[in-house]
Amino acid sequence: MNTAYQGEHLLPGQLGQFFIILAFGSALFSAISYYFATTDHDKLNKKWLWMGRIGYFLNTASVIGIGSCLFYIIYSHLFEYHYAWEHSSRQLPVYYIISSFWEGQEGSFWLWGFWQAVLGNILIWRAKSWEKPVLTVIALSQALIASMLLGVEILGQRIGSSPFILLRVAMTGAPIFSQPNYLTFVQDGNGLNPLLQNYWMVIHPPTLFLGFASMVVPFAYAVAGLWQKRYKEWIQPCISYALFAVMILGTGVIMGSLWAYESLNFGGFWAWDPVENAALIPWLTLIGAVHVMIVYKNTGHSYFTATFLTLISFVLVLYASFLTRSGILGDTSVHAFTDLGMFWHLVIDVAIFAAIAIVLLVVRFKEMPISKKEEETYSREFWMFVGAVFLALSCLQLVVVTSIPVWNAMFKTHIAPPSNPVTLYNVFQAGFAVVVTLLTGVTQFMKYKKTDTTRFFITTGVYVFSAALITAVIVYVTGVYKLHIVFMLVMLGAIYSLLVNGKVLADVFKGKIKLAGSAVAHIGFGLIMVGALIAAGTSKVISQNTSGLDYGADFDKGNNSRENIMLYKHEPYKMGDYTVTYVGDSVAAPNHYFKVEYKKYDTKGNLKEEFILKPNSQYNNKMGLVSSPDTKHYIFHDLYTHISMAPLNVMQAGMPAGHEEDANDDANYNAPVTHDISVGDTIPYRDGYVVLERLNKEAHIQNIPLDSTIVAVGAMLKVVSHGITYETEPIFMINRKNGNVFNFDRKVDDAGLKFRFSKIMPENNKIEILLYDQPESKRPYIVMRAIEFPYINFLWSGTVIMVIGFLLSIFRRNKELKTI
Amino acid sequence: MKKSAIFGIVTIAIAIAIIICTYGSSSSYGTFKDAQANSGELHIIGHVDKQKEMVYDATKDANYFSFYLRDTVGNECKVVYNSTKPEDFDKSDKIVLVGKMTKNGDFHASTILMKCPSKYTNDKIDVTADAKKSSI
Repeated sequence: MNTAYQGEHLLPGQLGQFFIILAFGSALFSAISYYFATTDHDKLNKKWLWMGRIGYFLNTASVIGIGSCLFYIIYSHLFEYHYAWEHSSRQLPVYYIISSFWEGQEGSFWLWGFWQAVLGNILIWRAKSWEKPVLTVIALSQALIASMLLGVEILGQRIGSSPFILLRVAMTGAPIFSQPNYLTFVQDGNGLNPLLQNYWMVIHPPTLFLGFASMVVPFAYAVAGLWQKRYKEWIQPCISYALFAVMILGTGVIMGSLWAYESLNFGGFWAWDPVENAALIPWLTLIGAVHVMIVYKNTGHSYFTATFLTLISFVLVLYASFLTRSGILGDTSVHAFTDLGMFWHLVIDVAIFAAIAIVLLVVRFKEMPISKKEEETYSREFWMFVGAVFLALSCLQLVVVTSIPVWNAMFKTHIAPPSNPVTLYNVFQAGFAVVVTLLTGVTQFMKYKKTDTTRFFITTGVYVFSAALITAVIVYVTGVYKLHIVFMLVMLGAIYSLLVNGKVLADVFKGKIKLAGSAVAHIGFGLIMVGALIAAGTSKVISQNTSGLDYGADFDKGNNSRENIMLYKHEPYKMGDYTVTYVGDSVAAPNHYFKVEYKKYDTKGNLKEEFILKPNSQYNNKMGLVSSPDTKHYIFHDLYTHISMAPLNVMQAGMPAGHEEDANDDANYNAPVTHDISVGDTIPYRDGYVVLERLNKEAHIQNIPLDSTIVAVGAMLKVVSHGITYETEPIFMINRKNGNVFNFDRKVDDAGLKFRFSKIMPENNKIEILLYDQPESKRPYIVMRAIEFPYINFLWSGTVIMVIGFLLSIFRRNKELKTI
Repeated sequence: MKKSAIFGIVTIAIAIAIIICTYGSSSSYGTFKDAQANSGELHIIGHVDKQKEMVYDATKDANYFSFYLRDTVGNECKVVYNSTKPEDFDKSDKIVLVGKMTKNGDFHASTILMKCPSKYTNDKIDVTADAKKSSI
């Protein structure tokens, strides 16, 4: 059946699809040309080289073309395209349109391809004699990424998933598409997941994918070195690129955890979720690789380890993308993508690069310049090597545990992940961190080749002793001593590393400028460890709920020990050192902000501190209530507050259009109490009292013109509830001609009250007021959770310092580099 | 013995220890029947019975949520979770519980995992809201 659909814009999609095919073809062409350029013995023949370059430039142009088309589609709200409909909506501000661009798998593949295109161009410009073999690998990787976007059917099998698929194609069979004018019914898209509407989501994915993309460069250099038998030469130019990759990927990972901390509700910055692990895994091996590459450059040792770790890092990047994108994690991760039918495609991607790495390692093993001599025990190279191996082991542990669903699929087993994975990861990774942090200190005191042992032991002893003293104080003050012993050892290692690298940094200022990068990066790493350890280890839920029904001791032993408190509006609640009150709401559609007032008093009852936090919730049609926390940042700790639950009627009451009179509104209140009062009288009620201040004989009611036949009287009431005063004016109206009476009720929502002025009794100068009082369950309230994170700023500042250290190292290594 | 050989053995030993520990600490998927027989924590996959009552009343207790779950073999059991009702609970169909049986026969969940990404793939077009506009 051919329906002529109306109102569709097919051009941008067709153009985009054309660019995808072109990107795939040109990358493949470039890879093949570069391959022949590398293997061609005629050095003067530049034909292959130029074909490779042209292919790569064409690929870069097409990748930019794909991005422009996709952005145009999302930006112009062309909801005939599935991607735009799925990930964006009309209300999204421009900067979130950018994040919806990479919310889906296709967009993030594009991002990866884009960065790889940029890096490839930099290498064409700078790699000189390495260009041909290195670009062969990168163009091949580029072709595989483009193939993920193809969305073309070959032999009945769809290859890749295109972002330019039309809505009606993606959802073939839906009845709505039988109408040619279906687009008039699809006025808006699904919108962006509210949790991703955060500024970190604008910059975190590009950073992370630049990190992933840059991992291919060290891999390509290692492959080129083995392939071209330039065994020793590849390492030096590779170090700078590897440093760049770990710097960017590390920054991307920490940005992700900052986003999780700022906008997710699990109450922390790291949860060992498979998606987080996936980014950490290749980082660990490449950071190990960087160290052994430096060892090799300086001493000639650890060649195999350096090559192996460099190669495996990129294979692990691909493996990680297989884990998160193939849907295999299934029930074990909340965040992983669902399968787009690319399972085997992703497996093949990993297999191709793993095969390249393994074949080269095996074929070239005999020719590798592996040193026959052993390292000295007291040499820097030996302990750096040990450190790298431990980084690889910590990576192994992450891989083994994260891959449990993969083992299940491979061996047809049915093992569940550990029921308490966080503890398992923490203890294991802390164990490795002890060794690694200690080594970052120890190796700084050693020299390459041979160290004077007596001097080494004296200085190490002095520093370990001072570190132990400082650690003891920190552990005692922060309360880390309550944790597992291994965490205290990590603290010792981190403090020791900080002291030693601080000393090295002091030497830098005395003129040993070369050491600056490593000292600064290690200080940053030490601070990250200290900050993460204290913040995660001693974070305290301060909203411990002591009230509530008692369900027996059996329940309190669970992991989820009553961490939420409920606050009625305007009713102060004592929470730890703070008195918290839910004081009000503000709505900036689609977000509903709950104002939570924190007050801190000293022992004499004087107000010491006062601030308001505004955690928010968003009611999303597809996902229900989605909340984001708000955090008060101090220098030495953070106070994190998160709405776990809010009744929907509160959310709706906050909405601008929610104030229509409801005929059944009385049902929301207890049966009214009648009070006959005169001016000046007081009515006491549960939370305070009400005073009739005066009667207003000239009351106005909107939209009702007053004439001589109508008398309207307002009762000016002052309501005092929990010490807060409200004014309200219920109105009594009577038509003199026919005697009809109207009551205009007035509500004081914040106090949960409604007033009706029902009768005037001139004979005794009294009026009748009906007081409606909301039952507890109908009153606005929130359920919230508050957590204190001590010293978390060490974690963030450590990251910044580490990045500076990496930058200094890159500058140093580039200076040493004379590429030919 | 060479130093590198010793170090190699240590490395391999740690690697094996990692694998054994992973296997040892791993939990298992099971049913409510298994949970009754076992005292340890285990994973239960099942569907929420939306016909039966789901209790969460913050005004009574903000940290008590209970519902009924039907496991993969069809047994049904009351589940108690000592926290708030998860935000997207109503939207999810299949869920995974981690927890154990209590003496009184309720299942006490320490973690509720909901497969959220279904919200990305749940391709239902919401046309009702916009049908009015098209008539103009």
